[in-house]
Amino acid sequence: EYDLIIIGGGSGGLACSKEAAALGKKVMVLDYVVPTPLGTSWGLGGTCVNVGCIPKKLMHQAALLGQALQDSRKYGWQYEEQVKHNWEVMVEAIQNYIGSLNWGYRVSLREKSVTYLNSYGEFVEPHKIKVCTVFEILKTFVLATGERPRYMGIPGDKEYCITSDDLFSLPYCPGKTLVVGASYVALECAGFLAGLGLDVTVMVRSILLRGFDQEMAEKVGAYMETHGVKFIRKFVPVQARRLKVTAKSTEGTEVIEGEYNTVLIAIGRDACTRNIGLETIGVKINEKNGKVPVNDEEQTSVPYVYAIGDILEGKLELTPVAIQAGRLLARRLYGGSSRKCDYINVPTTVFTPLEYGSCGFPEEKAVEEYGKQNLEVFHTLFWPLEWTVPGRDNNTCYAKIICNKQDNNRVIGLHVLGPNAGEITQGFAAAIKCGLTKELLDETIGIHPTCAEVFTTMDITKSSGQDITQKGC
Amino acid sequence: MAQRLALRRLLSLTPGAVPPQGPLAPLSRTLGTSAGCRSTFNVQDGSDFQDRVVNNPKPVVVDFHAQWCGPCKILGPRLEKMVAKQEGKVMMAKVDIDDHTDLAIEYEVSAVPTVLAMKNGDVVDKFVGIKDEDQLEAFLKKLIGA
Repeated sequence: EYDLIIIGGGSGGLACSKEAAALGKKVMVLDYVVPTPLGTSWGLGGTCVNVGCIPKKLMHQAALLGQALQDSRKYGWQYEEQVKHNWEVMVEAIQNYIGSLNWGYRVSLREKSVTYLNSYGEFVEPHKIKVCTVFEILKTFVLATGERPRYMGIPGDKEYCITSDDLFSLPYCPGKTLVVGASYVALECAGFLAGLGLDVTVMVRSILLRGFDQEMAEKVGAYMETHGVKFIRKFVPVQARRLKVTAKSTEGTEVIEGEYNTVLIAIGRDACTRNIGLETIGVKINEKNGKVPVNDEEQTSVPYVYAIGDILEGKLELTPVAIQAGRLLARRLYGGSSRKCDYINVPTTVFTPLEYGSCGFPEEKAVEEYGKQNLEVFHTLFWPLEWTVPGRDNNTCYAKIICNKQDNNRVIGLHVLGPNAGEITQGFAAAIKCGLTKELLDETIGIHPTCAEVFTTMDITKSSGQDITQKGC
Repeated sequence: MAQRLALRRLLSLTPGAVPPQGPLAPLSRTLGTSAGCRSTFNVQDGSDFQDRVVNNPKPVVVDFHAQWCGPCKILGPRLEKMVAKQEGKVMMAKVDIDDHTDLAIEYEVSAVPTVLAMKNGDVVDKFVGIKDEDQLEAFLKKLIGA
């Protein structure tokens, strides 16, 4: 009696299910969270709502507020008490909000008549899935199982270390923390933990923010370092014990040891595509990371099985991408639409202490694709007005645009490092979708005083070699 | 919201266990007072709801609440206090919507707190959100009187 079963109740799965139900189909969503080694589990909504974007941004905000409190004295606010942070109060407030979101999703599924089961699903035969002890035989399936943090595979990692799955509901303050990894998860978490006043060290095997523009990535790291986050570069942990971590250099024989209250592993995420019977029905996956290759209509190697979200091979791991893909898929399956998900020029933001927003090509990829001589990169340093009075870092915030000289100086990459980077980048993403050129940007009048207006007055090119250092006015 | 697996298992093994309330909810204190302790109870499961709410000869107010809901923590004790004032003429059943989602769905609860007034198994009145003591008293008197 069901038309569609979606395995995974996260951003992609829920969006797809509601759209399909709105088009009149009978839909079932299966969502099941395997508890972490620590026993942490959570409700309906997937990674973003429970252990990703939402709690991350809220904790980032908590850290920013700490900074704001420091700045406030320079703006004339006077208070006697020393300011300190209570981890448990923050976690309770954030978890309460997440609880209301979990409930909200259940209500919205019910309102759209989507059946939700807190259950695992496993393919047993072509077109046949086992849910608990019941077998459902269906025409169409959508895989939206998402990912979970990868462990290091060293002695003690599961017993003594935590991951982002545990961090956002940790019932005690993590204290002195070692963050292993240089992904955006690692840097964002290290960032807000340091912002809350904790002693944080980041252990990096090689580069920061792999896949992102490396000039921007290094600036993100540099800001964190000048703001109290310690970095140990070119080392990997080899053993974790209670409160102690041993690490080895990637370039020699040096071995170091450190004492930490908490070790947070953030070295990457693996797709949850094992143990659901994909081999049984012939859905091909990338054996290394479990990701699912699909065509441009999100169809897997088995025609009646589709996949969306973080598990897709070679696609962006972002909630809005999963939601868009899920919705458009439902419309193509049941609404007669032929519109495909556009994965080009998707904007993103890394919510490190100094936020980094981008849309389009990282500079290295642009050079690879178009050749350095065909590109013009405009750039500038800037000092947010709000930072002047408290005397915060000058010549740290940075913005650049990469233009294709052979196409009317079309903006093919936009990068900004500064406060509210996400809010700034969102609007420009729409402009880039409309074919933004440098000339159009120059014709656009800025809003003053803002940070975003720097994009409307960018004159200095990298190729000119001119100094972009801001002098005092 | 996130849960620690071990804690939930422990609670489910203990019959009649009260789900952990936040530090703000003085539920246990209220249950200790003389008139209050017998007129308020936590619903254990679907059949308990049938026995003690649907089939109750007395009128029952059902307080659908959640651990993560701030307003619920204010309304709960306030409602209990007003129920206690009615000297046994009305009972109060508390339902945690995360523990008893089926029940919450059956009674079409979308937001919390939702309070139903039930008489002879039928929903005769309802409100959503916080009310002050006077409004609660009027709500209860209407249920008892009608």
